[in-house]
Amino acid sequence: MKLKKIFTLLLSVLCLFSLTFCSKKAKLSNDTLYFNLETEPPTLDPSKAADTTSSLVIENTMDGLTDYDFSTPDLKIIPKVAKSWKITHSGSVYTFYLRDDVYWTDGKKVTAPDFEYSWKRIIDPKTASEYAYFLFDVKNAQAFNEGKIKNIADVGIKALDDFTFQVTLTKPVAYFLHISTFPDLSPLRKDIIEKYGDAWTEPEHIITNGPFKLTHWKHDYQLILERNDNYYGAKAKLKKIICFMIVEASTALSLYQTKKLDIIRQVPPLDIPHLKNTPEYRSGNYLSTYYIGLNTKKEALSNAYVRRAFSAAINRTEITDMLQKGDIPTSTLIPQGMLGHNPSIGIPFNPTQAKEWMKKAGYGEGKKTFPPITLLFNTSETHKTIAESLQSQWKRNLGIEVRLDNQEWKVYTNSLQSSHKEPLKTSFDIFRLGWNADYPDPDNFMSLFTSYSDNNHTQWGSKTFDKIVEKAKLMGNNPQKRVELYNQAQKMLLEEEAVIIPLYIYAHQSMWRNEVKGAKLNPLDRWSLDEFWLER
Amino acid sequence: MNTLWSDAFKTLSKNKPALLSLFFIIFIILVALFANLLAPYGYEIQNPSQRLMFPNRTFWMGTDILGRDLLSRVIYGSRMSISVGLIVAICSLIVGTLYGSLSGYVGGKIDNLLMRIVDILYTFPSLLLIILIRVIFGQGLFGIFLALTIVGWVDVSRIVRGQVLQLKEMAFIEAARAVGVKNRFIIFKHILPNILGPIIVTLTFEIPAAILSESFLSFIGLGLQPPFSSWGSLANDGFQAFKSFPHLIIFPGFSIFLTVLAFNLLGDGLRDALDPKLKNA
Amino acid sequence: MIPFILKRIFISIPVIFVLATITFCIMRITPGGPFDKDKAIPPEIKANIEAKYHLDRPLWSQYFYYMKGLIQGDLGPSYKYLGRSVTDIIKDSLPVSVELGLYAAFLAFLLGIPLGIIAAYKHGTWLDSSSMFIAISGITLPSFLVAALLIYFFSFKMGWFPAGLWEGGWEYKILPVAALGLRPVAIIARLMRTSMLDVIKADYVRTARAKGLSEFPVILKHVLKNSLIPVITISGPLLAGIITGSFVIEHVFAIPGMAKHFILAVTNRDYPLIMGVTLIYAVLLILANILVDVLYAVIDPRIKVS
Repeated sequence: MKLKKIFTLLLSVLCLFSLTFCSKKAKLSNDTLYFNLETEPPTLDPSKAADTTSSLVIENTMDGLTDYDFSTPDLKIIPKVAKSWKITHSGSVYTFYLRDDVYWTDGKKVTAPDFEYSWKRIIDPKTASEYAYFLFDVKNAQAFNEGKIKNIADVGIKALDDFTFQVTLTKPVAYFLHISTFPDLSPLRKDIIEKYGDAWTEPEHIITNGPFKLTHWKHDYQLILERNDNYYGAKAKLKKIICFMIVEASTALSLYQTKKLDIIRQVPPLDIPHLKNTPEYRSGNYLSTYYIGLNTKKEALSNAYVRRAFSAAINRTEITDMLQKGDIPTSTLIPQGMLGHNPSIGIPFNPTQAKEWMKKAGYGEGKKTFPPITLLFNTSETHKTIAESLQSQWKRNLGIEVRLDNQEWKVYTNSLQSSHKEPLKTSFDIFRLGWNADYPDPDNFMSLFTSYSDNNHTQWGSKTFDKIVEKAKLMGNNPQKRVELYNQAQKMLLEEEAVIIPLYIYAHQSMWRNEVKGAKLNPLDRWSLDEFWLER
Repeated sequence: MNTLWSDAFKTLSKNKPALLSLFFIIFIILVALFANLLAPYGYEIQNPSQRLMFPNRTFWMGTDILGRDLLSRVIYGSRMSISVGLIVAICSLIVGTLYGSLSGYVGGKIDNLLMRIVDILYTFPSLLLIILIRVIFGQGLFGIFLALTIVGWVDVSRIVRGQVLQLKEMAFIEAARAVGVKNRFIIFKHILPNILGPIIVTLTFEIPAAILSESFLSFIGLGLQPPFSSWGSLANDGFQAFKSFPHLIIFPGFSIFLTVLAFNLLGDGLRDALDPKLKNA
Repeated sequence: MIPFILKRIFISIPVIFVLATITFCIMRITPGGPFDKDKAIPPEIKANIEAKYHLDRPLWSQYFYYMKGLIQGDLGPSYKYLGRSVTDIIKDSLPVSVELGLYAAFLAFLLGIPLGIIAAYKHGTWLDSSSMFIAISGITLPSFLVAALLIYFFSFKMGWFPAGLWEGGWEYKILPVAALGLRPVAIIARLMRTSMLDVIKADYVRTARAKGLSEFPVILKHVLKNSLIPVITISGPLLAGIITGSFVIEHVFAIPGMAKHFILAVTNRDYPLIMGVTLIYAVLLILANILVDVLYAVIDPRIKVS
């Protein structure tokens, strides 16, 4: 009797369950898009942003001088708040002419002094901006940032009048116009920032000029962007975008599959083989190269023949096939889709050649035995998989046993940095890294391996290489000559010296419903949400 | 004393779940010991052409993303998981028992001080310690043992201290003290043998706890790393794709489940068997 | 009662102080700093950042600077979430963790106590074994596996509950609460069983039975009350543990709670946030233990608050 009662009760509770769920469905409208931002943006203050999540939100809420046209393959730079610009013949003075119909969300006009304030703020040592160095080509900017000069008026950033903004460079670098697209250099409201301090980026205070405005921010969980109806350009098609911060990719996928999200920007690697044939799976390559670097100061890797052999012994296709992410195997550093990309450069897979090079270096049967070496990577599933594959390939093709070691991310970056000071004391001989283009210009990749670069952990340096890269950097008006110089530099870096071994060009994977229109992947992984609309 | 243990064994042998668990644990330990004989393939042999296969006749548990046989990896994984469990539990037990019995026996201000230290360790962000240990001692097994022991002994010391406090009040100990028997003698001859029961019970609970802690470390990326792989790290590898390739998480997960369950049931059985108060129940 | 509570709080202050000091030291010995990234920051810029957060001063000076702030109740700025203070972060996230933790604790008591009672009452029977089996299975799996299983069946296959998020509705709470509560269910059920078995054999219960009181009232009146004491003892630390130890659950279900900061603050080397969450946890634990002692006195007047 009692049991029966309990059973009935349980059953009715279950019915209630299913009823509530049925009634809750079908509330999705065409006005609101559900988007996974993945992580909490560390900041929405453009001067301080130094990560992709922050940039994604800032790009959609703030408009800078210029922007990319992602429909063009070479990513043409197009006007935004600047309606036009003039570059002096020498290439060192940039004058931007601003539109006079751009308004802040509180109704004030966006003016050149707003840009001047923002650009000067980012190089101010007190702001302590990580990305201050992007303006180091501007006259006196570096000196000001380093405290060597005190007068900000000496820096080459000036608002000539309300709608004319002028920047003077120390050297006519080829990539400067790319810098002007940076979300970190969006105009800023001095009065608002001074009034609210650090809290100015909270939705109740923030003043922006982009297609969306921030209306709600529940930290670590969700932020809401709503259409800016006073936007000067083509108004956003969506009324509202709800961005969640779901870090766990498999959770995001589950939520996507249960229609709680419309766009996820990441697919769990092991789910890719299953999903990649569905129409909602999107994949594209971006300007980003995965490479392994060799510590050339270590005895085992000091011989260029050994390094070349290590490169020739890797079948990169085997790795990309295994990962199944659509990454493009590459033996060159400058990625596909960028000026200077040349697939014929680099050492291709050739085990016979690899063995020969090892012999030339004095290792092999009847000769020296190869000393034990270690490949270090930061702890992650993908890197582990790649490292294990490399380990087995080197063993198979060179007969060399490479030890694997991994470190937690911060410990890892610290190890790489400290290897500069004491290259022989490090516990590792080989490391991994990826480089993600800051802007689509080859200098962004090539200057990494100059002898003075903080990002060059190979301990290899060559004056010749430095000179070529510096020369190419200033050849903005002669692309052909520039490409020639980069070919020369890449050959040196990858074929003769082989200090780094590029493995593949990253692909990014996203999923969005077919109802989402206007979305397209681009090589810089930017998300212009104002171009999206929904048809459900 | 002897009758207590033989009585305990009798009680235990009547407890079917506990007995079954004991046999299962022995089985798993044998698997771990003879992994190299039992595993059909090497645990790191990659078959690029046979990646991510579902369980089939050649690969009973399927293969992983590198085409490695999951059955072999689970068999070898038992080595890591069981040794992490055993070593960490035994080390925690030794440290915790010594510390706890000292604290409980000496009592007074020293007890208070020692327990405050335990309080501090209890609230200390153990993750920091674990990262630091892994940096100093490398990513090998030793780092894991040390890290988990440092986190694990604190609980043991509390349990032991409680037991010692109870015992201390008992007549025979008080008598021994009154007669002037040396403290060390009392601790080793009277106290420790009398709390051996609870200690063994604690051991059976600490082993599965250590296995689970290791899998948590794997989840946050601080667990065992190649070439080692434990059930925890295998399950974590599979976690990312539990919808597409459930076998990658189910087999190692099920191994954890059974082993931890067995240790717990055995522990419960032992506790019932060793508790003199339950004799006449 | 109040002097007792005050005294307990007073003794805890040195514990917190020592904890803060040790955490500070260990944190700074650990390699890798908050501003170490894969894209190297030029040394001059790093110097600017370090100057901003006083990281350029000698370590002892930083320590005193932090301690001075701590005494004034200032937990400092986060190094990762620029412009947010540690106090803000805790204020935003702690209530969520507390809510989640309370639900899980509620579930644990709701299921754990009856399971323990049944097992003890039917000691040695199949009901005993099966209750314990149910209870134990809650602690046999790592929590990420439990979460994965719950999501797989109830969200992916059945479509009953969302696979994550923390919107207002109760349907968002079921799975994370279940995943988080399983472990305490097991702990409480086992504890309840053992302590009840102890009490059942106590003399006064035998007397009550001998007097011919029927079984159920005996259980209810005499046994239950007394056997609850160990459960209450453990509930304090257990609750503190549930609230702060739910990293995996918060991560997998995308819940904006504080537990994830225990892990993320460490992996980001967000020094002030590490200190902040550690100290908050210590305070929670101390308060929970004091509360337990107070509850003791309420349930069992024989125990003097001393």
